[in-house]
Amino acid sequence: MSSRPKLVEVKGVHKIYPGGSKVAALNGLDLTIERGEFSALAGPSGSGKSTLLNLIGTLDRPTKGTVSYDGRVVSSLDAEELSDFRLASLGFIFQAYNLIPVLTAVENVEYPLVLRGVEAGERRRLALEALEWVALTEYAERRPDLLSGGQQQRVAVARAIVTRPSLVLADEPTANLDSKTGAQLLDLMQGLNKDHGITFLFSSHDGAVLERARRVVRLQDGALLADEARAR
Amino acid sequence: MLRLAWRNVWRNRRRSLINVAAMGFGLAAIMFGQSLIISLQKQLIEKATGSITGHVRVQRSDVDESKFPDKFIADPEPAAKILDADPRVAVWGKRIQLTGLISSPTNSFGALICAVDPDKEKTLTDMSTYIKEGTYLDPNGKGIVMGRKIAGRLDVRLGEKVVIMGQAADGSMGAEAFRVVGLHETGSESFDGQIVWVPLKAMQEMLGRPGQVNQLAARVKDIDEADAVAADIDGLLPKGNVRAISWKSIDREIISIQAFQDGILSVVLVIVFLIVALGILNTQLMSLFERVREFGVLMAIGARPRWVVRLILAESLVLGSVGTLIGLVMGSILIAHFGRFGLPLPVGKAFAYFLPFPTVIYMVPSWRMHAIACVSVFVVTLLASLPPALRAGRLKPAEALRHV
Repeated sequence: MSSRPKLVEVKGVHKIYPGGSKVAALNGLDLTIERGEFSALAGPSGSGKSTLLNLIGTLDRPTKGTVSYDGRVVSSLDAEELSDFRLASLGFIFQAYNLIPVLTAVENVEYPLVLRGVEAGERRRLALEALEWVALTEYAERRPDLLSGGQQQRVAVARAIVTRPSLVLADEPTANLDSKTGAQLLDLMQGLNKDHGITFLFSSHDGAVLERARRVVRLQDGALLADEARAR
Repeated sequence: MLRLAWRNVWRNRRRSLINVAAMGFGLAAIMFGQSLIISLQKQLIEKATGSITGHVRVQRSDVDESKFPDKFIADPEPAAKILDADPRVAVWGKRIQLTGLISSPTNSFGALICAVDPDKEKTLTDMSTYIKEGTYLDPNGKGIVMGRKIAGRLDVRLGEKVVIMGQAADGSMGAEAFRVVGLHETGSESFDGQIVWVPLKAMQEMLGRPGQVNQLAARVKDIDEADAVAADIDGLLPKGNVRAISWKSIDREIISIQAFQDGILSVVLVIVFLIVALGILNTQLMSLFERVREFGVLMAIGARPRWVVRLILAESLVLGSVGTLIGLVMGSILIAHFGRFGLPLPVGKAFAYFLPFPTVIYMVPSWRMHAIACVSVFVVTLLASLPPALRAGRLKPAEALRHV
């Protein structure tokens, strides 16, 4: 057992999507994420990676079971409380970057701070600092359509970390990038994890990407297949 | 939030431009309609009160018909003093109105005879401005002014005499010869073919009613105060069978026309508002369907559902503001143009049967009504965007993020 404190505890989680066939995406899964981890969820398509990320990210609710953060069950909070929780504690990186196209890079990064009600000057300072961490200060005033895929994903990373979240969740963050850019992004995420202690949990089915994780949780058919710790 | 809303609105520039243009045209059409109705009503009231009625009248309370007071006020002086003392009254004059027989050597028929104090009447009504031949009345003379049409029917010309007959105070038939001194042409069938004007003094002598009148007509400085002035004067009149009333109690048909026009305007407004509302609803629903994933992202990074609702409402606020501004500018330009150069309208001819009424309408703004229209368009815009906004607020982040 590690000595690091538990951050997330997933207990007996089931997720069944409604509909005619009632697809069971997760079947009684248990998982614990500790602070400071740099972990990956692995598995083939349909194994439940994205569903588990959504549940941990409080973007969806489990059909059964609980998701807790620091011992507090969050899966039963209402929609407004969950929004506040995500704003306070989580950062997201999506496969398709999902930047707001009408905002510049720095405005995209500022956005969670706008939602937090941070004063304009302070939020600009924090956003530029986050862009500095991802080495994109010179592109701060560019809109997403004028950035490459790799640059957009770095902006997305800056947006995810600008609020100093406890956990950053990344769903297939390198899937839309070429291998070199994907590797650079992983370097960046690893650096943020090491230098700033940000906990990362990302999903991937790319072996080269999984190689970079210190822990790989393998899923299959909605159940835990293996939980592998990597010494690095 | 407003900055994001502004940028979101112009994300699909062509669609938003079409939308705000539609709103602008709609609002301009509403303002134009309001101004047209108001201008028509204003000119109708001005012509009705300015041609014969006046704004306030003192007359017997036991008359059969307020429009044609046929009963005489034995002592009009107390009322005259009250009218003189009221600073809101611009001018007033004594009158006798009666139906009588007018005859020429070749023809005779009934007419409405208006006996007036010519000096006062010149500013009390605008009838003297319609004289095309001859002059207006001399207070001490025995002249008569009539329309060209009535003169044609009587076959009389300037300088020739006609005889007026009417019931005198003692019940006998009074008669007097009047020389035609002026011929007017108002364009109104009623005024040019049925009404003649004679000096008050001569008519009082003819009827054997020295000093008596059957009405005192007044023009007030501000027509909107007519009701208040009438009520105040009525309160000051000595107890008896004399009362003061405003033009609204006399020209009741104008009030009915106003109500009818207001009703039509309301129907048009509702139709335009519905068109604007459907346009906004369509735009916002399309915008919502296009951006479901984006709303999912916003919710994922911590935007509350109500924040997403507010964002969509803010976008409508932007659309509504720009559309309202465009409409306000377009509507104001239209009204200013037709206010300066006039709008030829055949409706003038319809009114002209009863009144001297111009066929060109000079439009005036009604800023109170236009402000209500602007606010209404604004509110309709917000209300129309409420369903898509609430729908966006109910999106589930995970489902929204899966939306393609």
